[in-house]
Amino acid sequence: MAWDFQTIRNQAQKEADSICDNTSLESFRIKYLGKKGLIPQVYASLSTASKEDKPLLGKNANELKNFISGLIEEKKLSVKDTINQSSKSNIDVTLPGVANDLGHSHLLTQTMDEICGLFEKLGFIVQEGPEIETEFNNFDALNIPSNHPSRDGFDTFYVDQVDPGDKDKKLLLRSQTSPVQIRVMKANKPPLAVVVPGKVYRPDAVDASHSFMFHQIEGLLVDQDIKFSHLKGLLTTFCNRFFGDNIKMRFRPHFFPFTEPSAEIDISWEKGKKDWLEIMGCGMVHPQVFKAVGYPKGKYTGLAFGLGVERIAMLRYGIRDIRLFYENDKRFLEQF
Amino acid sequence: MKISLNWIKDYVEVKIPPGSLADKLTMAGLEVENVSLVGGDTIFEVEVTPNRPDCLNMIGIAREISAVLNKELALPRTGKLSKADAICDIKIEDKKGCLRYIGTVVENISIQQAPKELLKRINSLGLRAINNIVDITNFCLLETGQPLHAFDYDKLAGGRIIVRRAKDGEKIVTIDDIERALDPSILVIADAEKPVAIAGIMGGKETEVTASTRNILLESAYFDPIIVRKASRKLGLSSDSSYRFERGVDYPTVENCSNRALSLILKEAGGKIVKSSDIKVTGRNKAAKEIVIEKEKIDSFLGTDTSVTQCKNIFDKLGFDVKVDKQKVFTIVPPSFRGDIVQEVDIIEEVARIIGYDNLPLSMPSIKVSNISESKEIQLRKKIKQILMAQGCSETVTYTMISQKNLNDSKLSDIEKLNIVNPLSQDQEMMRPSLLPSMLSRVQFNLNRGQKDISLFEAGKIYTNKGEKETLAVIMTGVALRDWRKLKQNNVDFVDIKGIVGKVFSGTGIQDSAVSYKISELPFFAGENAQIFLRGKKIGAVGRICQEVLDAWDIKGASVVFAEVDLESFYSGSFSKKKYFPVIEYPIVTRDISLAIKKDILFDEIRNIVFNDNNDIMHNFNLIEEYLGENLPGKEYKGLVCSCKYQSKTGTLKEEEVTKVHERICQSLIDKIGAIRR
Repeated sequence: MAWDFQTIRNQAQKEADSICDNTSLESFRIKYLGKKGLIPQVYASLSTASKEDKPLLGKNANELKNFISGLIEEKKLSVKDTINQSSKSNIDVTLPGVANDLGHSHLLTQTMDEICGLFEKLGFIVQEGPEIETEFNNFDALNIPSNHPSRDGFDTFYVDQVDPGDKDKKLLLRSQTSPVQIRVMKANKPPLAVVVPGKVYRPDAVDASHSFMFHQIEGLLVDQDIKFSHLKGLLTTFCNRFFGDNIKMRFRPHFFPFTEPSAEIDISWEKGKKDWLEIMGCGMVHPQVFKAVGYPKGKYTGLAFGLGVERIAMLRYGIRDIRLFYENDKRFLEQF
Repeated sequence: MKISLNWIKDYVEVKIPPGSLADKLTMAGLEVENVSLVGGDTIFEVEVTPNRPDCLNMIGIAREISAVLNKELALPRTGKLSKADAICDIKIEDKKGCLRYIGTVVENISIQQAPKELLKRINSLGLRAINNIVDITNFCLLETGQPLHAFDYDKLAGGRIIVRRAKDGEKIVTIDDIERALDPSILVIADAEKPVAIAGIMGGKETEVTASTRNILLESAYFDPIIVRKASRKLGLSSDSSYRFERGVDYPTVENCSNRALSLILKEAGGKIVKSSDIKVTGRNKAAKEIVIEKEKIDSFLGTDTSVTQCKNIFDKLGFDVKVDKQKVFTIVPPSFRGDIVQEVDIIEEVARIIGYDNLPLSMPSIKVSNISESKEIQLRKKIKQILMAQGCSETVTYTMISQKNLNDSKLSDIEKLNIVNPLSQDQEMMRPSLLPSMLSRVQFNLNRGQKDISLFEAGKIYTNKGEKETLAVIMTGVALRDWRKLKQNNVDFVDIKGIVGKVFSGTGIQDSAVSYKISELPFFAGENAQIFLRGKKIGAVGRICQEVLDAWDIKGASVVFAEVDLESFYSGSFSKKKYFPVIEYPIVTRDISLAIKKDILFDEIRNIVFNDNNDIMHNFNLIEEYLGENLPGKEYKGLVCSCKYQSKTGTLKEEEVTKVHERICQSLIDKIGAIRR
């Protein structure tokens, strides 16, 4: 069979010129290069060609194949351009995308998670305890005298339920997260390193800076040789990680019945400015507390600390009214 | 408490500027909250912690300053007083309420203005001049912390003093001209007839010292802190006096201060001591306990390297009686006014405080691995919150205290509840037994503030007299996904909230087959609602809130859906361990079925029939469309289009294999629930 290579070329060129998308390019490729396409047919005819025709036919076949392949490559590029061109003109990429709204974690949760997370990285474990507590765990075991004013109904909420361990007493809403210290120590032997986030209650009339319900985080580290210098080191590390390295801080002696020595930590945001903000209380666990949980006398020392979550969040985010946390205005929640 | 720097300087030398002194006091535990200049004096406002009643006076503060600045303390001298010839008629009837009472009668005094120096002192701390006698008692109170009271002796019926509980119905007009009703919980000073003072709080008008007073009885006493505090709270009356008695006065100072005042009275008002009695209730005045501590112990606890001299000097300056032996062991007897010093750590704190916490070293503890582990609850709760947030729900933190009205409005009046004995107000009279009122109130709050599409959740506690239980609540109103390109913008409905709650289960690894739903009859829901069961155990409910409840909460024109899940039961359920199943690469064959079935047939029944067919190629079965309307066999029918996906684990499925199973399933549906193929 004789092939009119020039006509085939012209024909192919003509067809290629009219290719404008991938579909027509693909049918063009199949027509010439496909299994049953023209080029394979040309090559197939080599087997029946005479000995003297073969070299020329072979040469022409190769040239034709290269020519067609060239056309395809060329068209591939131009088709791509065309597609790009057309898509560019058809879409406004600045239109907003479509997606579900994301929900927001409450700022108090975020703050508690962040603070607990920092201590967790140092080896502390998060523990929780009940909000309804016994007078023993909330006061007695924490070395708070039986006549202490904080036990009054003015300072502690009592619930209408008898303490199963002491029929003369009612259960109360914990006024601090510290009773969890007692629970943890009663159930475990040192070494202990725990952080305890949770709700606490005090009968304060609600205003911009007071709430009858708020959140605290408590920390406790007990071992055989915990020193006061550890208290300073640990909490300095925490403050620097949480508030930044630029803050100034001081440990100011204070009084808590369940720690001795006790301190409050003040920080100042601006160096050189004496504008101290009280952020947390801390101290070395009082020996009476160890006694209350049944640890042998003099065997262990420990450090404890506690902070108010709302207060910390208010300081950090410039929130002026504590009630915003519990109002749960969508526009408040969605800022964090 | 206010302190005057000029006054302090009577007892201790202060050469540093007031600002530096304020810093040093603060860093020694007496926080100076405010410093102000008043007429050539510097006034500090100091916060005294409850363990330090000894600092509620000028001498106490001066003693702290002497320790901090390492200066000597000079106490005021009291001249020798002449002994009285006669005893005073004093009786302590209530031996619990009063441990010591010193009464001294001074005759022939002249009431006039107090000397200028003394007035300047008490004025600087905000007290007005009254007359020399009253001003002297006030001066001594501020100087030593021991409250005193002077009676007009001639007005005491029978010239008697009886310390007793008030009788029911007794009344007294106090010096502030207010009549106060008394009762047996209140300790009073009475004469032969009636109460003349509320012990430790305020004297009576009738017996007060006035310009015409000639003879006085000076009282210096120790009243029980708790009785004074309770009376003060009950009467809503507090004074400089009660403030100090409540925190505890110093037993020996009762006498010292009495003498100090008497010597000033004799000097400034003349007169003569004629009668005197010091009545002590036995059982007090126990000797302070010795505390023995090694210097080494102090250093190891603080991480310091102190010297014996440094420590001893601190103890001396604080008024401790201290001995030290060659082994550097201190034997310390704290003074009577330091009731807070009872054991080693108290001594260590004194050293730390006076050296200054800021001057102590810091180091990192090595935190050992303990055998406590974080609970499964905490991890699961975090996961649940993430799932809900990904569904567009925001977390709330709401008050856990609610009112009976809140319960009634939520049709929960009969629920078991836990009341608060001493609520702040009726709005917070109980601990919430359900999260529904909290969530409804937040929806209402947001709707009232112009918010429309609301999806909120809370993982919080509910409370009954059986205890507290962690519970999850989700509440939604408005449109879940708001975008103009999405055609469906219907208000949230039962299926939206059911879908979200379903994600909580599937997202935490609970298989769909473990969760089931049954129609419920909870009063706060409208028709579309269900109870949720996890492995057959009821753990929650989901549905649309009924109109009556919405009306009660004043939620207008919005449909609200709500779900509550008992997380405690949820946590205790077993979570199947995750296991790898090989991914099957053989193709999936999809066949749709279009059925007409009776409306009362549940989707669960269809699904059960489908999955109960004995084959191993059913991969997935899903509802594509539910159709109500025309072209159905009857009004009692609904149309369902479901898709069945088949896949073999061993090879590419052949048409015939799929057809055989699919037709058999269709036939089952026809036979068992009367389905009609469409």
